[in-house]
Amino acid sequence: MELFTLLEKGIWFGFAALGFAILFNVPQRTLFIIWIIAALGGLTKLILIQLNVEITIATFAGASLIGILSVYAAHTKHAPPLVFSIPAVIPMVPGIFAYRMMLGLMKLSSTAATSDTYSISLAETVSYGLKTLFILMALAVGVAVPMLISRKETIKKVKHTAEN
Amino acid sequence: MAKERTTNSKAVEEMLLDVGTLLMGNGASTGRVRTTINRIADALGYEVELLITSRSLMLTVNKEGGLDHTSSVKRTPPHGVNFKLVSGISRLSWRVVEEGLSVEQINQDIERIKALPHYPRFVVLALVALAGASFCRLFGGEAPEMIVAFSATFFGLFIRQEALKMRFNPYISIFFASFTAAMVAGLSIKLNIGHSPENALATSVLFLIPGVPLINSLSDLMDGNTLNGMVRGVNGLIIAFSIALGLMLAMQIYSL
Repeated sequence: MELFTLLEKGIWFGFAALGFAILFNVPQRTLFIIWIIAALGGLTKLILIQLNVEITIATFAGASLIGILSVYAAHTKHAPPLVFSIPAVIPMVPGIFAYRMMLGLMKLSSTAATSDTYSISLAETVSYGLKTLFILMALAVGVAVPMLISRKETIKKVKHTAEN
Repeated sequence: MAKERTTNSKAVEEMLLDVGTLLMGNGASTGRVRTTINRIADALGYEVELLITSRSLMLTVNKEGGLDHTSSVKRTPPHGVNFKLVSGISRLSWRVVEEGLSVEQINQDIERIKALPHYPRFVVLALVALAGASFCRLFGGEAPEMIVAFSATFFGLFIRQEALKMRFNPYISIFFASFTAAMVAGLSIKLNIGHSPENALATSVLFLIPGVPLINSLSDLMDGNTLNGMVRGVNGLIIAFSIALGLMLAMQIYSL
C-alpha cells in the first residue's frame, strides 16, 4: 500500500472513533485527542500488517499504543483513560470477519451435514470466528493492560500529595 | 492540613452512593468506581466498605476512629454510556482531595455535572453516520458504499433513539436499529449500488457494537472483579446477538 492510501485510512480511523466519542458523550476538550489517538493506533496496525505481521498481533500492538497514549492524554486533559481509549479502539473491531462468520453460521444451519460444501463452510466459519474472537480479545486486553498498570502511578500520586 | 468539617455519616453515605451509582450506570469500570469512592471518602475522613454489583451498590461508611457508622443500598439505574459524567465525577473527586470541598459543595457539583448537556441530536446522528461511512472505507468500500453506510447508520441510530425514548427493552431497541440499518443497506445490494455493496451491509450495523461492555468486562476480569466482569461480558454478548438477529432477519427478507 502506498503512503497516501495509508494516511488516508488513518483519517478514517479518526472519524470512526469520533463518531463513537460523540455517541458516548465525551467532554468536548477530548474530541481532537481521541481523533489523533485513533488514527495513530489504526496506522500502527496497518503498517504492521504491511510488514507481514499477523493481524491479531498487529491489532494488539495498535490497541496497546492506544492504551498507553490514553493514559498520557488522561493526565493532560484531566479525564479518565477509558474516555479516550474506548472510542479510539472501536474502529479496529473486525466487523467484516464477524459478518462472514455470521453468514457462515447461517449457511451451516441451512445445509445438510452430508453435502459436499459443508466441510468447506465449516472450515471457513471456524476460521473467521476464531479471527474475530482473537482480534476482539487483543483489542480489549491491549487497551485494558496499560490502564491497569497505570493505576499504580495514580496511587503513588495520591500518597505524594498527601505528604505535602 | 485538612480543614475540620462537620458532616454526618448519613449525608456522606448518600453522596457516596450517588457518586458510585452514577459512575457504574454510565460506563465506568468497577475498579474506577471503587477508587473514586475511596478517594472521596478518604479526603472527608471516612472509611468505607463497598459491595459493587452491576445493578446495585451497597456501602458502609464509618467515621475514622468513631463508632458512628451506617450502611445502605442503592439501585444502579441502567443509563447507558455518558463519559462526560464519568470524567466530571473523576475530576470532582480530585477537587475534593485538593481543595477540601464539603459534602454540600460536592452535592452541588454532582447536580451541575448531571445537568451538563448532551451533544445535539442532529450532531450525534451525523457524526455516528460519518463513523459508519468511515468503517465502510476502512473495510475497502468506495464512495457509493460509504454513502449507503452513512444513510443506513443514520436511520438505524434514529430508530434506536426513538425506541429507547418509547421505553422499549434496550436489547429490543438494538434489534430494531440493526434491522433498520440492514434493511437500508440491503436495499443497495438489491439495487446493485457500488462495486462491493456487501461492505456497506456488514458495516451498517457496526455503530451498535458493545464496545464499552466488552472492554469494561475485560478490565473487570483482569482486575479481579470476576463476577462484574462476567455480567458485563454476558451483556455484551446479548447485544451482539441482538445485532446479528436484526441483520439476519433483514437478509432473509431480501433473500441474500
